[in-house]
Amino acid sequence: MLQDIITPSRRLLPADAHTELRAQLNRSCRVTLLSGNLTANAKTETSGVSARVYKNGVYGFSSMAECSSDAVAAVLRAADENARFMDRRAGRGKGPLPAIPEGFRPLDADIANPDQKLFADVAREIDSYIAAKYKNLTSRAVIATADSMEKLLVTSDGQGGHTILPRSYIYVFLNAETTSGTPIELFEAFGGHGTFDLNFTDPSSMYAEIDALYEKLMQKREGVYADAGLKTCIMNGMLTGMLAHEAVGHTVEADLVLGGSVAAHCLGKTVASEKVSLVDYAHTAFGEDTPLPIYLDDEGTPATDAEIIRNGTLVGYMNSRETAERFGMQPTGNARAWMFSDEPLIRMRNTAILPGTDKLEDMIASVDDGYYLVNTNNGQADTTGEFMFGVSMGYEIKHGKLGRAILDTTISGVAFEMLKTVDMVSDTVTWASSGFCGKKQPMPVGMGGPELRCKIMIGGR
Amino acid sequence: MHDLNQVASAALDALRQAGADKAQCTARFTETHEFNVDGGEFSLFRTLFDNSLSLTAIRAQKKGSVAINRFDDAAISEAAASCIAIADSGESDPAWDFAPEIANQSFTEGAPEAELDLLFDRTKELMDTIRERHPLILMEQMIVTHKKRRTVYRNSLGAAFETLSGAYEIDLMFSAHEGERSSSFFGSGVRTDRLDRPFIELGSIEEDLASVERQLDTKPLEGKFTGVAVFPPSSLGTFLGSILSNFAADTTILDGTSPWKDSLGKTVADSRITVSAAPLDERIVCGERFTADGFPSENYDIIKDGVLNSFMLSLYVSNKTGLPRAKNSSYSIVMKPGDTPYKDIIAGIERGILVGRFSGGEPGTSGDFSGVAKNSFLIENGKITCALSETMINGNLGELLKNVAAISQETVCDGADVLPYAAFGGVTVSGK
Repeated sequence: MLQDIITPSRRLLPADAHTELRAQLNRSCRVTLLSGNLTANAKTETSGVSARVYKNGVYGFSSMAECSSDAVAAVLRAADENARFMDRRAGRGKGPLPAIPEGFRPLDADIANPDQKLFADVAREIDSYIAAKYKNLTSRAVIATADSMEKLLVTSDGQGGHTILPRSYIYVFLNAETTSGTPIELFEAFGGHGTFDLNFTDPSSMYAEIDALYEKLMQKREGVYADAGLKTCIMNGMLTGMLAHEAVGHTVEADLVLGGSVAAHCLGKTVASEKVSLVDYAHTAFGEDTPLPIYLDDEGTPATDAEIIRNGTLVGYMNSRETAERFGMQPTGNARAWMFSDEPLIRMRNTAILPGTDKLEDMIASVDDGYYLVNTNNGQADTTGEFMFGVSMGYEIKHGKLGRAILDTTISGVAFEMLKTVDMVSDTVTWASSGFCGKKQPMPVGMGGPELRCKIMIGGR
Repeated sequence: MHDLNQVASAALDALRQAGADKAQCTARFTETHEFNVDGGEFSLFRTLFDNSLSLTAIRAQKKGSVAINRFDDAAISEAAASCIAIADSGESDPAWDFAPEIANQSFTEGAPEAELDLLFDRTKELMDTIRERHPLILMEQMIVTHKKRRTVYRNSLGAAFETLSGAYEIDLMFSAHEGERSSSFFGSGVRTDRLDRPFIELGSIEEDLASVERQLDTKPLEGKFTGVAVFPPSSLGTFLGSILSNFAADTTILDGTSPWKDSLGKTVADSRITVSAAPLDERIVCGERFTADGFPSENYDIIKDGVLNSFMLSLYVSNKTGLPRAKNSSYSIVMKPGDTPYKDIIAGIERGILVGRFSGGEPGTSGDFSGVAKNSFLIENGKITCALSETMINGNLGELLKNVAAISQETVCDGADVLPYAAFGGVTVSGK
């Protein structure tokens, strides 16, 4: 656990500028078994302190890979010098940031870091299960991984806290060939918030889902290419979450709004069907913890939900303290940094489209000729809202019934146009949280949503 | 400042004392200065002082790795013990090894000392020039950095390297705007060790800004055709990266899924294609001097005149498969130019597409790719006509290399890679 050298240093914060002082410890472990070969077995631990100083509209920042009172003094001095340099050479002449109330969020509980051997043992057990049971795979991979961010923060407003965000996952990749020799792959991520030892107490509890993954891969072996064109599709929660994050979420991050995203011109306008609402949740959603609960951001703002789309209308952005002032909104705790050496950026937390009232089986039954899209393996989007997602698993829907599996394909569209075609929304939310969002720095995020019935371009082969 | 030689020696000693049969470590100090522009305005000046120490141990042919960012004795000792524990948790594999004894090699590269005032002036000059020449461009983000790195590598077999390097990096993310109309965003960047020229003259920055300004008015493609796709150096780099990582790198060679796994010494591409990994090329700024396994980096050809000359293998996968290891880590890609002027390539295309950026999933080992052609233009009757929206391209990476229409005389060097414009046939282009 981080030694608290930050709180006693609060008296060193410059009196004439808004300042954040942070100590941070990041840990990660990774074990990779590639077709039984242990190709990676590694652990990383980085810690240090950083300071950010705001002066007349510009920031100075400095960090040092050392957790000591000397390092605290050094980064405060360097950040202040950098802020003065920027103010002198490129100052915007703006006043101070609006203050936030004083407070301190204490650590809920420390976490235990399990021995690396546990990662290797669990990965080996799962790999052995797959190798023994499924002989017709061309290759397989099992990756056991965990990461955590522990942060101690104080700000010149008197706000601060001590937080830890641990998560751990096992990825299972299964590869085979179609009858015509085309390589196909499916993967599944298991796990979520929490440490590896608590998330994976019994590897055999995953076997049923691994069996299901294998069954889907075998269906995909017999799969067909989707017919290209604008189709009625049902996107499952994984794809809905990807849509919420990539195609909508990024465009409503206020720094990207200022950078010219499509959302700059859409506030208060209809951007989706009235069945669609979207929220970036902080720590609690639908009465439960979010996949990655965030209680305090790295500017000292206590985290609250950011409502983005209400019944089809764009009602807000995600903000830092600075952009919130520009847009006349309230900051909701979206300014997050990945490492001690990173400055806070506007990031999503747990972004989801809200559930509706439809049942999945009714939604499938309602489609005469279309597709049920089940898994995605990647997604990209533009600040215009134009998106492209890879679909790694899906099924034909013919006359209201699921048909053959489809081979890898893509879906694409423009988010604020495609969302207007949503006419059914299921009552169940699926969350994902295993990856990293990339935006100058990586960042763990959660994303989720219900099944959506919509019109979307599907790429065919 | 820490003495990195002492840190590396202490780390090796700690690994030996903890029980390593073989050990290696890399100690690095990095000082970073960085100016940020957000939404067209200066926003942030960062100064970072970073340490990194990576330790790798082999015991009983089991391997473990630990990375930390502290140099004190207690942290090194704890990391060494952890490294051995991690190795013990693994499986014995005779393929793990490090480079043999190599006399200490020392290199100084680039511009180790930052000229910060001049760097700020060049950055401001770039912003002012863009406003003047490209008034429709909105700079979403510009990050201008100087990194000074001092690195020491040691292994227990006697390989040793020291490097001191420094380079400036300019990364731009921008789009064009007029009223409520906007283009897709685009990224451009360069690495350089000199501040003697305006940044807008470097790499393809000027060309990229001008291209994005022409993308305000786009048209969706009607229908579908199969034709020639022209890849400028920036998007060619993305495609080459996909081809090489899918067909010639560790993972797919080790698991046997690469379609090139039996193609060493055989033709895999048009004879006009020569692709090298060349960190020592004089145009590459601060190229790699030693590999992660402790070998001195040398230039090598991956594909020479269409023939697969080398895979891009680490020592581990080389030992595992019996195939030769790559002579560097293959970060710096240099492709041999062709004999056709770029304008003649365009003039010779009846119907095709100029692919500015590909937005799609990473193709699998089949090599099939499918995604949206972003920042792209239609080519008709030898001319670049309209910018495209909602247009997809599909094809196969392996087939692309065999279906070369032309390679340009011109190349673009961004300090990291040197690439020409390349035109490939057989790409399916489809619209609404």
